[in-house]
Amino acid sequence: MSTEPGAIAKIWNWRITAFCALILLAVTIAAVSFGPISINFFKVFKTLFDLPGGSTGQDRTVILQLRLPRVILGALVGSALATSGAVYQTVFHNPLADPYLLGAASGAGLGATIALTSTNHNLYGALPIFAFLGGVLAVFTSFIISGKFFADPNSLLLSGIAVGSFATAIQTYLQQRHSAALRPVYSWILGDLTSASWSVVAWSSIYIAIALIILFSVAKQLDGLMLSDEEAYSLGINPKRLRIIAVAAATLATATAVSASGLIGFVGIVVPHLVRGLTHRVTNRSLITIAMAGAAFLVVADLGARTLLSPAELPIGVITAFVGAPFFLVVLRNRRRVSQ
Amino acid sequence: MTIVVTDLTVRYGEKVVLNDISLDIASEKWTCLVGPNGAGKTTFLKVLLGMAPYSGSIKDHGIEVFNNHKRNVAFVPQHPQIPQGMTVAEYVMLGRSKREGWGNESLTSRSYVHRVLQETHLFGMQGNLVSHLSGGEMQRALIARALAQEPELILLDEPTSALDLHHQISVLNNIELLKEEGVTIISTMHDITLAAMFAERIVIMKEGKVLLSGASHDVIHSPELRSAFDNRIDVHTLDTGRPVIVASKAEPR
Repeated sequence: MSTEPGAIAKIWNWRITAFCALILLAVTIAAVSFGPISINFFKVFKTLFDLPGGSTGQDRTVILQLRLPRVILGALVGSALATSGAVYQTVFHNPLADPYLLGAASGAGLGATIALTSTNHNLYGALPIFAFLGGVLAVFTSFIISGKFFADPNSLLLSGIAVGSFATAIQTYLQQRHSAALRPVYSWILGDLTSASWSVVAWSSIYIAIALIILFSVAKQLDGLMLSDEEAYSLGINPKRLRIIAVAAATLATATAVSASGLIGFVGIVVPHLVRGLTHRVTNRSLITIAMAGAAFLVVADLGARTLLSPAELPIGVITAFVGAPFFLVVLRNRRRVSQ
Repeated sequence: MTIVVTDLTVRYGEKVVLNDISLDIASEKWTCLVGPNGAGKTTFLKVLLGMAPYSGSIKDHGIEVFNNHKRNVAFVPQHPQIPQGMTVAEYVMLGRSKREGWGNESLTSRSYVHRVLQETHLFGMQGNLVSHLSGGEMQRALIARALAQEPELILLDEPTSALDLHHQISVLNNIELLKEEGVTIISTMHDITLAAMFAERIVIMKEGKVLLSGASHDVIHSPELRSAFDNRIDVHTLDTGRPVIVASKAEPR
């Protein structure tokens, strides 16, 4: 940290961001290397960057057509969930807020269940669209019900919970009526990246990229939303407009992530707290770092899901919750200690 | 005159919170709004900030204040939202955003914050979390952030409520630092004695109306002051010439 005499140290150090980028690169290559067929780390590196001496034949197909899209999708989903989580925590002044808070998860769950329980099997392929629409619709309904469109973040939070419960009720009813769909619905709820292909990566990367670019571009101003509206206004922010932009972009990222990979829990809470806890900084200038840490976290979790019980797969949600739930308790515990 | 208020009325639904106020507020002076709870003081500060809609007109240097983001106005609320996990340095640094842009950490800004922390006796605590500060320290951190903003106008809502006497004086002295830098100060305060001690001008408000305004000395000693408080106050003058206003015991009916 720079310590010029007569000046306070810089709040944010971009070297942390660079460090996170290196970790992400390393785990990406590692995740592509490991699996039922292990491929040499350096060969993978050369194949990925199209350098001489890369893999050929079957190995090359495994790397480029099977593992790489899956790893990239994991990174995209991880960065979307972690960034949205961090943004929601700031906007709602609540360190335990997660990206599924406003009904995005239950709405998407309902959408997916409708697709999976439908007698028309063509709808199976449209599952991501149903999940996406369900999630967006649920959040939008929360907005409408909360009234006054964002006058008060707390009323939005409450209406989000109400909408979420309602969607879950319908989803449970549908599941009971169509017991054959129980298993696919259940595995979707736990989240998985097995459906990853270049086409899934292509459409999800567009929405997630748009959402993340919007969030990164307002990241610095988001710090103002940690204050009261009057204070934020006096510092040059339009708090209501900024909140709508931030929540809309975070919802787009979350809905896309959910429709591509199901409900992967805890990433949105664990990763922002990890980055903020390790750097001792709450500033949203860390948003890019949080995105990369989220990507790395999910790539590693998916590596675990693929390899721990190989050749069988664990749902990735099991791994993230296994790490996430205890961590969540530690956060709660520290919070209680702080408030005492 | 910096701020000219003409026929200002604010309604929350049916309720009239500010009722047809016309007032001139002098620049580079400390004006204190005094009155009982519900008089509309906080609402008055919010419309002066430019955030809340109103009818009538409030002109700051000739320009209507509503939604005017060009003005550099600092706001110190009575109940600030305290950001979890944020350090004092980060908190005070936020004040620089208006001048330097969000997230800018120029050497000038960091030197300025260093100086402000020293002036408000918070230096050495810059790494502490704002959520761990005591009431008096938090109030000083708020004022430090306002100082860091280098505002033209600062609005303070009850800056001394919930502080003990020693901290009240220390916070008020910190506010006076702003006046030395040519900043116009408008605050609310329910302790009229403290208001008379620090502010040059006092505005007495009641039920959304301005009952009385003028130089502190004139307001304190005017006969209308007693009637503004339903004849339930007494004004005494100390040997030093300083006025002390105390609540008087209600007369038996």
